[in-house]
Amino acid sequence: MRRPDLGDLTAHVVAFGRVLRERGVLCGPGEIADALRALGRVDVLDPEQFRLALRTTLVHSHHDLRVFDALFPLYWSPFPPVEAPGESGEEGVAQEEPAPERGHLSMERWAGAEETEGEQEVPGYSALEVLTRKDFSTFTDRELEEIGKLVVAIARRIATRMSRRMQRARHSHRLDLRRTMRLHLRWGGDLPELAFKRRRIRKTRLVLLCDVSGSMDIYSRFLIQFVYALQEAVGNVESFVFSTSLTRVTPALRSRTLREALDRLSRTVPNWSGGTRIGASLMQFLEGWRHLLDPRTVVVILSDGWDTGDVEVLHRAMREIRARSGRVIWLNPLLGSPGYQPLTRGMQTALPFVDVFAAAHNLESLRELERTLAARARRTGRRE
Amino acid sequence: MRPTLGNIEQILQALEQEGYIADREIATAIYLSIELHKPLLVEGAAGVGKTEIAKVMSQALGTDLIRLQCYEGLDVNTALYEWNYPKQMLRIRLEEGTDRTVEEKEQTIFSEAFLLRRPLLQAITHHRAPVLLVDEIDRADVEFESFLLEVLSDWQVTIPEIGTIRARHIPYVVLTSNRTRELSDALRRRCLYLWIDYPSFEKELRIVLRKVPGISQLLAEQIAAFMHLVRRLDLQKVPGVAETLDWSLALLRLHRDHLDRTSVEETIGCLFKHHEDQRLVRGPWLDAALAAIHEAQRDGEGLARALSRIERTLKA
Repeated sequence: MRRPDLGDLTAHVVAFGRVLRERGVLCGPGEIADALRALGRVDVLDPEQFRLALRTTLVHSHHDLRVFDALFPLYWSPFPPVEAPGESGEEGVAQEEPAPERGHLSMERWAGAEETEGEQEVPGYSALEVLTRKDFSTFTDRELEEIGKLVVAIARRIATRMSRRMQRARHSHRLDLRRTMRLHLRWGGDLPELAFKRRRIRKTRLVLLCDVSGSMDIYSRFLIQFVYALQEAVGNVESFVFSTSLTRVTPALRSRTLREALDRLSRTVPNWSGGTRIGASLMQFLEGWRHLLDPRTVVVILSDGWDTGDVEVLHRAMREIRARSGRVIWLNPLLGSPGYQPLTRGMQTALPFVDVFAAAHNLESLRELERTLAARARRTGRRE
Repeated sequence: MRPTLGNIEQILQALEQEGYIADREIATAIYLSIELHKPLLVEGAAGVGKTEIAKVMSQALGTDLIRLQCYEGLDVNTALYEWNYPKQMLRIRLEEGTDRTVEEKEQTIFSEAFLLRRPLLQAITHHRAPVLLVDEIDRADVEFESFLLEVLSDWQVTIPEIGTIRARHIPYVVLTSNRTRELSDALRRRCLYLWIDYPSFEKELRIVLRKVPGISQLLAEQIAAFMHLVRRLDLQKVPGVAETLDWSLALLRLHRDHLDRTSVEETIGCLFKHHEDQRLVRGPWLDAALAAIHEAQRDGEGLARALSRIERTLKA
């Protein structure tokens, strides 16, 4: 039961889906199809129903909901903004059809910006922030490959070391009744032999928070490779990058090759090489992903500790991260340089909450990390 | 023909009749989940009424609710089916004297009569489409999640001894997650998504009035306003709607007709389960918040309108 004007609408829904995808939302043909089916079942002339139908079908996570809520009023501009339900009665219903001219234009600028090469500024949805995109092409393939091999080798060893530790830690068995019963049937009489199965191993989770601000520039390319390799080698890893704000990059790094991963990163991370607000970024992590932290989680922060933001915020964030997670490791590339003292305000604030403070400026220091990560987690109780 | 709930308005009414105060967002998600025949993934903080959605959905649809509670280490034997071992063992005993071959015996004890149907199998073999609630899927292992994804896609399961069992009616599925870990993108994309936030002042007021019979409008308003304000604090564990209701009942039982420092301190354990949170709330914040609530109520300003102003004052 298609409405006559659904044709135009379809094109717009497809375009809106593309806009969401550009901002890192998981939104493919399946979602678009669901959205169109949903629109066939609600009153599309009711702005609220229209919005909710798209919201329920195009988005699959809380984080993406925020992106949706920010973009929806921009794209479907004749519809009243989400934040102002009071206005819907006056102008919303009167609109015959969503004709997203104004908002759509700015969207196309964003979408178009993707085609241009190199480093340039593009408008983001936080207008205050100077958002830059980093050109990764300065890496030569050969360089990538060489460093990559080494980094992967280290990451693999870390992965093995971690899992070995965990297997030894939990060595309990459970009765396998099903197999026991079969044995029983074969031999008749009473239970001849008990069959056991191994209990599942509880896995440690790794949360990686990598600083990609300007001051980290020469290291972050290298560290991203490490994060990529680690995520590939260890199953349970969540990765984030931050400068002035934080982006979850776990899905982007799940690409088959590093180059592909870097491509996706440059598209999804809006503020590569920007300023640094560690505290605010960590707070953002806590707001959106606090649930990832538990006593089995090891948090690794890769940063030089140059924070231009509020140290009070950093203090609160670090305190909570430490309270909720099993271990906090801070890797500072500057720690490798001779005579370096961690005297920056940010570093000073964070240090009391760090279990391991180590260097990360070259491959050797990453090898060092292998031992650190494999060590038994600090015993923590939650704060009472 | 699958029973449906009609349009979104009817769903809202049905939910309300079942005692669930919902907004259009929730109603739309439920409606589309039924109409598009897709599982509904419900996320949100603990105690905002995620599980309730499935319960109410089954009541409103007039169908059964089958619940699968997830936990770490949940395996196929607990979720799908298990053989009834004691019964098998008895049968083996009974047949000890007979001259049936091992193969024959095996066929008997691994037949449907010896099968224990766990929630997933129950759901797909049910005589009419039930509501299947997969509760706290984030607690199950990644391996189980993949298995579940398979079931949700194919609606059939294979039991080696019996063969493939196809769903008679495809269940309505509700999955809930407290986000203790990120779910796979594959599972997410299989589902429609609903995020339930802490309720607004108005919604919470309606919930309290509805769920706590005998409570006065005055006290209910104070409670809803208090909850609204207290959730803005930097707490270890933000209290949900379940806590609000516990607290309201406790206040009622103690014959309190309004909130003051004493009544809050007496009942603070209903709301806050962390020592630090209790200390934070008991501090000067409590007096300021209570005074502001009472004042707004006295002036007849309407708490709903006063709240954002009070919020700013308290922050300062």
